[in-house]
Amino acid sequence: MCDRARGRDIAIACFYFDFAAGKEQTPGSMLGALLKQVVGGLDKIPEEITQEFVEQKKVIGGRSLRLDQIVKLLVVVTSLKPTFICVDAVDECAVRDRIKILISLGEIIQKSPTTRVFLTGRPHIRGEAETRLPGGVVAISVSPWKDDIIHFIRKRLEEDPSPDEMDERLESEIVKKIPETVSDM
Amino acid sequence: MSQDHNLFITASKDSSSPARASSFNNNTNSFNNTINNVSNHFTVPEDRSEILAWLSPLEPRIRHQNLEAGRVDKVGDWLLQTEQFRNWLGGNSRDEPQNAAMLCHGNPGAGKTYIW
Repeated sequence: MCDRARGRDIAIACFYFDFAAGKEQTPGSMLGALLKQVVGGLDKIPEEITQEFVEQKKVIGGRSLRLDQIVKLLVVVTSLKPTFICVDAVDECAVRDRIKILISLGEIIQKSPTTRVFLTGRPHIRGEAETRLPGGVVAISVSPWKDDIIHFIRKRLEEDPSPDEMDERLESEIVKKIPETVSDM
Repeated sequence: MSQDHNLFITASKDSSSPARASSFNNNTNSFNNTINNVSNHFTVPEDRSEILAWLSPLEPRIRHQNLEAGRVDKVGDWLLQTEQFRNWLGGNSRDEPQNAAMLCHGNPGAGKTYIW
């Protein structure tokens, strides 16, 4: 998807949730990271953001933006060009934070019509996403795809550091057997 | 700024005569302009990286680049051909959001992370 977006006048912002990242992945830092990526792709930083920066710097020690301010600025910058927001492993975000993030993303797509949100996660978050995101959620089930597995195995075999130990018979057996085993899982 | 600051101190020592009061006001304006210039300094391009770092300390692009390096070409292309994907891509064109969000759900190890 990202490959096909290259060279077009669109913005892509991504985020990967991770259980191991723990408390550093807050709704503010996560949505701020999305904002940073969209703004980073613009020729000039919008005035609304530089003004906020100057204001927050006046406070002793400096201050970060509040969640509602970040969402407001995301609406501003995502309205400048078609924007794709991709969030991986939404289920790895703590449930309380997840609700805030889904509501925030819902507000963005509500107010910025050329923005698309792409989420991945385990099946149990489907209900939550459908409740919080306006206009419905296009849901699609992902399972190991046989062609993808074959592509992956062939690529790894090409990169085999000991090719002399591989013969044609063994290679074709690997390419045949592994996808069958994965499909049976 | 230091020159303006010195002028401000000189003027403040004796502002009793009209001429000196006028000089004092001019110097005060000059001082204020200098302060404004300091504030405006934050909007110049050199501060771009500082502003971006202030928006969030997190760098998800690094994770994305690592995953991209390990991703095999064409993996996940099947998704782009689906009707659901096309509906999502073409949705949300009216006043109300419609199909602007897509969820790819699956069990761990299904390959969700490598789709995009």
